[in-house]
Amino acid sequence: MSLESAPKELRQAIERDLEPIRPLHPAWMRTLVAVAVIVVVLAFSLATASLRSDLAQIPMWLSWGCSVFQLALAVILIGMALREAIPGAGAPVGAVRTAALTALTMQILVGVATSIYSPAIPMPGSDFTAGVGCLKHEFFLALPTFIVTLVLVFRALPLRAPTAGLLGGAGAAIASDAILHMMCPMSDLLHVLVWHTGAVLCFMAVGWLIGILWQQMHWRRTP
Amino acid sequence: MAVDRHAEEQKLIALMIDYQKGEMDAFDGLYEALKRPLIRYLWTFVRNQTMAEDLLQETFLQLHRARQTYTPPRPVRPWIYAITRHVALMHLRSLRRRKEVLPDENLPEVPVPPEVDQLADRATIQRLLGTLPRAAQEILILHHMLGLSFEEVGQIMGIASGTAKVRAHRALKMIRRRLAEEGE
Repeated sequence: MSLESAPKELRQAIERDLEPIRPLHPAWMRTLVAVAVIVVVLAFSLATASLRSDLAQIPMWLSWGCSVFQLALAVILIGMALREAIPGAGAPVGAVRTAALTALTMQILVGVATSIYSPAIPMPGSDFTAGVGCLKHEFFLALPTFIVTLVLVFRALPLRAPTAGLLGGAGAAIASDAILHMMCPMSDLLHVLVWHTGAVLCFMAVGWLIGILWQQMHWRRTP
Repeated sequence: MAVDRHAEEQKLIALMIDYQKGEMDAFDGLYEALKRPLIRYLWTFVRNQTMAEDLLQETFLQLHRARQTYTPPRPVRPWIYAITRHVALMHLRSLRRRKEVLPDENLPEVPVPPEVDQLADRATIQRLLGTLPRAAQEILILHHMLGLSFEEVGQIMGIASGTAKVRAHRALKMIRRRLAEEGE
């Protein structure tokens, strides 16, 4: 046995658990799973809900164009989350920050631009009731993508687990908002900022918190 | 030198593939190839040889648990060093929580690259390296001593390769400044 060979206890621990494993697919391939979920959610939404009533007043670039752009941003965020789950493959901190801020800014800018082109439509019931309705929709549209993304992330080994969770949450929420942008007729800026942007921030925060919890559970060392 | 690095990386990739197939010899090969550089790297975090050796075992256990996250034919070293770094950071965090302090030891004997070596005698360089802030020391060890590229250093530390380059430059500058101060 050479001087560099592993200690006996370590070798025994490894040997006990040494069986062939299949390496994970690359991040871009795993991103396709999340994309498939987004496509299903989009198809389901288009089949079951009607498009926003003020669609004719909004230019194409701002309606479909921005939704497609937001969906692309969501896929990038999810891809970054899945890369983050592979040690040594995560994006630099600056790139993560830029991507998350761009997605959030884009969501706000789309809201501002839409409010300029389309006057606020009064909704039946109070603003609060309408807001809660939108929040529920955002939640249910984002949840499948959010769950699938986080399962894919935490099956691997995200070393910056909160960051991976935040990116996954942002990706799922932005995808959901891109779909809801075509459905929600409330273009009132306050409504958009409080309920829609709020939902995106909530998902980011929940992803971050799940990351912290996962990190604490995974790296808890035995005494 | 470049050919050696390439051959070394190819050897690590082959070992990782065999390790994922469940071959114990491949694990032994990885351990043998990586033990010394990983201990040197871990030392930058704990500055204690015994603790670095303990953390090496913890690192290999984590590598084992996470071996499915390595996707061939990606370079092996950024993957391994990133996990090693995280094991060390988690250990430091738990030490801080328990308010424990480890006694500092001198840097274990490491080969010093020509650009650092020409600055002063080996003993002075080793001593000065030990006095640098951890981040500066980490970059110097990874790039100048363990021979990782700035791109790989960036992947390990989660920073852009340009940032790694700037930090390495600053670390060398810091050594030169300290040498000048000592000379005065």
